[in-house]
Amino acid sequence: MAGIGFELRKLLKRDTFSSLLQTYGYAGIISSGPWVLSIFAVLLIGFISLPVVIPPVLVSQFQTSITYLIAISLIYTGLFQLAFTRYCADRIFEKEHFRLLPNLNGLLLLVTTIGGLISFPLTIVLFPETSLVYRLLFATTFVTVSCVWMVAILLSGLKDYKAILYNFAIGYGTALFLAFFLRTWKLEGLLLAFLTGQFVLLKGMLFVVFRNYPSRTFLEFDFLRERRVHYSLMITGFFYNLAIWTDKFVFWFHPYTGSKVIGPLNASEIYDFPIFLAYLSILPGMAVFLVRMETDFVEYYDRFYDSVREGGSLTTIQLMKNEMVHMAREGIYDIIKIQSIATIIIFLFGPAILSMAGISLTYVPLLNIDVVSAGLQVVLLGLINIYFYLDRRGRALFLTALFATLNFILSLVSVKLGPYFYGYGFAGSLCITIMCGMFLLDRDLETLEYKTFMLQ
Amino acid sequence: MTPMDSFPKSNSVDIMLLLEGTFPYVSGGVSNWVNQIILAFPEYRFGAVFIGSTRGDYGEVKYDIPQNLVHLECHYLHDELAMPAIRPMAGNNSAFETVRRIHEWFLHPDPTTIDDALKTPDFYLDSNSGASFEQFLYSKKSWEMICDLYQERCSDPSFVDYFWTVRNMHTPIWLLAAIAKQLIPARMYHSVSTGYAGFLGALLHHNNGRPLLLSEHGIYTKERRIDIFSSDWIQDNRNALQKDPTEVSYYRDLWIRFFESIGRFCYGAAANIVSLYEEAREREINDGALRERTMVVPNGINISRFATLRRQRPDSPPQVLTLLGRVVPIKDIKTFIRALRLVANHLPEVQGWIIGPENENPEYAEECRALAESLHIASNVRFMGFRDPIEILPDTGVMVLSSVSEGLPLAILEAFAAGIPVVATDVGACRQLILGHGQEDEAIGAAGGVVSINNPHDLAKEALQLLENPPLWKRASQAAITRVERFYTEQQMFANYRQLYQRGIE
Repeated sequence: MAGIGFELRKLLKRDTFSSLLQTYGYAGIISSGPWVLSIFAVLLIGFISLPVVIPPVLVSQFQTSITYLIAISLIYTGLFQLAFTRYCADRIFEKEHFRLLPNLNGLLLLVTTIGGLISFPLTIVLFPETSLVYRLLFATTFVTVSCVWMVAILLSGLKDYKAILYNFAIGYGTALFLAFFLRTWKLEGLLLAFLTGQFVLLKGMLFVVFRNYPSRTFLEFDFLRERRVHYSLMITGFFYNLAIWTDKFVFWFHPYTGSKVIGPLNASEIYDFPIFLAYLSILPGMAVFLVRMETDFVEYYDRFYDSVREGGSLTTIQLMKNEMVHMAREGIYDIIKIQSIATIIIFLFGPAILSMAGISLTYVPLLNIDVVSAGLQVVLLGLINIYFYLDRRGRALFLTALFATLNFILSLVSVKLGPYFYGYGFAGSLCITIMCGMFLLDRDLETLEYKTFMLQ
Repeated sequence: MTPMDSFPKSNSVDIMLLLEGTFPYVSGGVSNWVNQIILAFPEYRFGAVFIGSTRGDYGEVKYDIPQNLVHLECHYLHDELAMPAIRPMAGNNSAFETVRRIHEWFLHPDPTTIDDALKTPDFYLDSNSGASFEQFLYSKKSWEMICDLYQERCSDPSFVDYFWTVRNMHTPIWLLAAIAKQLIPARMYHSVSTGYAGFLGALLHHNNGRPLLLSEHGIYTKERRIDIFSSDWIQDNRNALQKDPTEVSYYRDLWIRFFESIGRFCYGAAANIVSLYEEAREREINDGALRERTMVVPNGINISRFATLRRQRPDSPPQVLTLLGRVVPIKDIKTFIRALRLVANHLPEVQGWIIGPENENPEYAEECRALAESLHIASNVRFMGFRDPIEILPDTGVMVLSSVSEGLPLAILEAFAAGIPVVATDVGACRQLILGHGQEDEAIGAAGGVVSINNPHDLAKEALQLLENPPLWKRASQAAITRVERFYTEQQMFANYRQLYQRGIE
């Protein structure tokens, strides 16, 4: 299969304005499509249920349940996301594609077993006033969603973004379709629709893996072997996912800002809506990130390491490194530029959009700062990605740990400071982390040749 | 550091021999010589440090360990290399400045102004005052220096090859420093080559002040030893990178210059520098040895062992040309076979015997057989494998050496002692042995013929003359016996070394 970088480069080669737009549009769809789809699907399910599901609090109970399911499954599988991505990248590099399927199965078995062992007893205990069916559905969905992330990780490692997008469309389409019939069963019906959709999504992606990467063995735990498992990546993945949810948890559970929705699950009416809206604004940033990283940066990254390995002169090596640094800088600048434009648009038209949707204008200041934060999160993603390319895992771990810690502390401070400061904790923690990351990256790239030759 | 082995160990010795890739693991001229020297001085307690590449490259011990060799330790440069844990560091500024200065000096070396730094093991072992192995491998200073030298000097574009060549060639130095530091005390050191062993000798001399004696049997940089330590690495680079073979020459050159440079340390430290013949001595002086420290002590043999063979010799030359040597390209066996073809044109019955092991380079041996086949003289050529010269010499008419490189070949001395004329190429000491050096020597007359290398025509002509002209053959035979008995006896060599040892030990 041709890599996504290849496809994007092919589009870019035509060198016209429309091909440029096409490239970024395509990149935007494949990079952001899945989560845009899921946000809209869940909103739509809520929308079509409102007339039928009574009282309406059940709909927000459903939406809160889904939010938590996604949050905790992401944090939980964060332990494996980066580590398994790295494992797959190494196997693909070594042309051992036959190892992908059995190890994916091994990972799924591990994720399912541990996830099941934790989630079933906990949901039974923690949701005393809900029905048993709800509790069973909740735990089952948790395990299923966790598996979905794992297969999606493998497919994006294989750069098969299209398969991910198709399957997300089919999965959420199924959920929406079923919700229409099952909504009469209220909360449990909606959850069952969602679970079925996730199940279809999981099986669809698994089908792609089984068909494209067949193997003689069905089950392997090669990815857990000594020297193949990178513990630092496990922790980094965990911290990254924890970090991006930390401010939300702070707002959900702080007595000033959170309120109980179902069982132990809290939500924050004031905080939640703007932040999820803001995330929709990073679509262009994600597109730029994908195009810049997969084409320009990777091209010079490859040339740099080729010139190192295949006997380039020191001047060539330094030249390629400088180009690579240049591309990294350009990439990050471009993300900042495009996100600034997105931010300005939201600043200008945010109030209008909110009033059109019939939402209170008190959300405007929070929406504004959240749009800035969402953009910064893409920048941080870009930085961490560069560190992964350079295989500086310690740096990535440091940055994600810093982000998680700062986000927790500053969000707590912002809650204490009052409503005008809501959202600034998240933005501030991202700002500081990015500054640190840039400073370190500057130093690391400065001495890259020294480290490449002398310290490996 | 010292690996566990069953070799004798002691607390101190009189003379510590420093041996690289020779005795006791590799049989050959130099190893035999070492064995001979140890046995000749039972009054001294010898020690020996064997330096090899990797244990697997050497088989069993080839010699009985002499009684007076009371200490023997073996070090394998590749095996014992323990890479320190990787960590970034700045590096010792003043130490690397010193190293830079030394590398400048290497470009325009002057034997009288050799720098004092880098001479003691402490420079390599103490990271505060010198440059430790860790600093060489991982420090910023080291990196900057490698880059600067590459920009300044490297004529090959591939930086990665330069980097690893530099790293690989220098790496053993730190191991040698560690060996020097922990070696048992000796009253003097005797290195049998320059190279790593010679460098170890220099470190030992500067570490505790005891004198160093250097005996050079060949030109280190020209011999196989350089291949032992470098060919794997050079070849690795090539295979991995699919290079044009001509590109490697720069790195080969780099290795040679490296060994020349560390050779200067050895010349600088040695109180006496012994070569086997005059030309070799001149080369040493040219390479940085001070003339007043150099001297010539030729190899000597036990004449009586071969003298008895003279009685078995017929009056007219047996129609047999014998080549004594390993079947490898450096001995240029093919020229011998081609020459034999030309001799056979006149003397169809002539025989060519090739005495020497073929296992070192079976491919080359096969090519030689094929050549004999294609020249239609397969029936005249006999590959006889390894044999004791005593069995072969009585039936030999003329001994032939077609080598492209030699030192002072014992085979010629042995042939002389048995009264056999020799036709050899003009390499190493061959001219001096066959035609004589200096008035008294030259007056003895020619003990055969000397021809240029890779010249089957002249080789055949000289050999044919001797085979077809019994009086000439007789005269050459007599000259051979006279010369070897006058200049190349064991006793003379031992007397010279007895003096050198006595002076050193005091």
